[in-house]
Amino acid sequence: MSDHDAAPDPMDKAYGEAEAMLSDEAARAARRARVLAAVARETATPPAVASPPLPRTAWGRGRWLAAAGVAGLAVFLAFQAYTPVSIPQPAAPATPAASAPTALTAPALDGPAAAPTPPTKVPAPTPRPAAQPSDVAPPAARFSPPDAQASSSAPPPPPPLQQNAEPASARAAAPAPPPAPPAAASSVIEEMVVTSSRRTQADAEKAAGQAARLRAAAAAGRTTELTALLAKGFDIDAPDADGNTALMKAVQADRPVAAALLLRRGAALDLENHAGRSARDMARTVNDPKLDEALGIAP
Amino acid sequence: MEPDAADDADLLRAHGAGDPHAFARLYDRYDRPCFLFLRRLLGAAHGDAAEDLHQETWIAVSRNAATFDAGKAGFPAWLFTIARRKAFDHFRRQKVAVLASAQDDAAMMIPDPGQSPLEQVQSRELAREIVAAVEALPLEQRGVFVLFTQAGLSLEEIADVTGVAVETAKSRLRYARAKLREQLAGERSAHV
Repeated sequence: MSDHDAAPDPMDKAYGEAEAMLSDEAARAARRARVLAAVARETATPPAVASPPLPRTAWGRGRWLAAAGVAGLAVFLAFQAYTPVSIPQPAAPATPAASAPTALTAPALDGPAAAPTPPTKVPAPTPRPAAQPSDVAPPAARFSPPDAQASSSAPPPPPPLQQNAEPASARAAAPAPPPAPPAAASSVIEEMVVTSSRRTQADAEKAAGQAARLRAAAAAGRTTELTALLAKGFDIDAPDADGNTALMKAVQADRPVAAALLLRRGAALDLENHAGRSARDMARTVNDPKLDEALGIAP
Repeated sequence: MEPDAADDADLLRAHGAGDPHAFARLYDRYDRPCFLFLRRLLGAAHGDAAEDLHQETWIAVSRNAATFDAGKAGFPAWLFTIARRKAFDHFRRQKVAVLASAQDDAAMMIPDPGQSPLEQVQSRELAREIVAAVEALPLEQRGVFVLFTQAGLSLEEIADVTGVAVETAKSRLRYARAKLREQLAGERSAHV
């Protein structure tokens, strides 16, 4: 059956001729123009999915840091707001009414970090953090252990679990724990800032490595690699120590195809390196008509 | 149509490297078979979607040009795999039940009446009848028949594109031809 099936059949011919007869050349030409225009548009504007790494790393981290910063600030402000209040507490036995403020103050600080709040504090209209509780609570909870460690100079507040285990009456009878000093909160913020700067430095080193790969691919004329790197969102005009960009490297190495690719993807032709020379200037030195044509500067 | 796989790959590479004419050349080689494949696969009921799916197919080709590996498959097989996927995605979106291949083949176990007298298409009316008969074929047989006759793919390539064994592709082609012969012979005799 194999040879017979693979051989042309009169029915194949009849169908081919039928399609040819029904073919509409005008519609075909219109379709061609439409498709090629759509592809050109698509090529000119790379799809959002083509550059996911950048948002995932830098923006993802930035968002996390922003949330952590807001949480730290919220903790700081909360401590600041509660600090000056000091009501003389009579050594009275615990009353059921004394436990009421605890219930009122607990939601104001959101989560386990609020547990040490003294029951005697007046639930004044405190400036609540602007962020939503769902955004703020997790980072605050994550940063509470360093907070407790940092406040070694002051008596630390009782651990939340232990306090929760106590009956309400015992909690009301206990002396009001002193508020955590602002220094503890600021040390947390300092730590976050240091962590942030470390991460920013790591990001910068990573970006520099990516840019170096891009420039190396440009200099070697590896267009497939260039395409892949650009699709990942690498900075196309990232300069090296001398201020040379990937386009400059491609021009210097006389790589017309790579240069055309970079130019088409938005590389700057007139950006200058530290010596004040642009890719356009370099192309004049190379003096290759193909390169000039690729850069669109042919006379 | 006798495409050279290496040339297709070169054109695709050149397109990836920014050559504005390479893609148009590649498109011109496969525009007609690709569109016909989609148009016939979609059939009369979904023919309106052919233009859009055809465009989506070529955009996908452009977008994924860097991932094409000429060592794994020829460009036509890659292109028609994308086109076929677009058509099936369309069916899925439209909630069209695609019959299982085994059912299609079982339903087409009909005696082969031999070669019909259809040696030449004589009129547009007959051409429309033939095309309608092709569109009336079961989906998988239709796809194989159009890929074989219009796209010029070999049975091995068709097997690759459709994800079946070569023997299955062969039997689908045989059933498609037999069904067409039977249907067109019946229609012609009805006209007489």
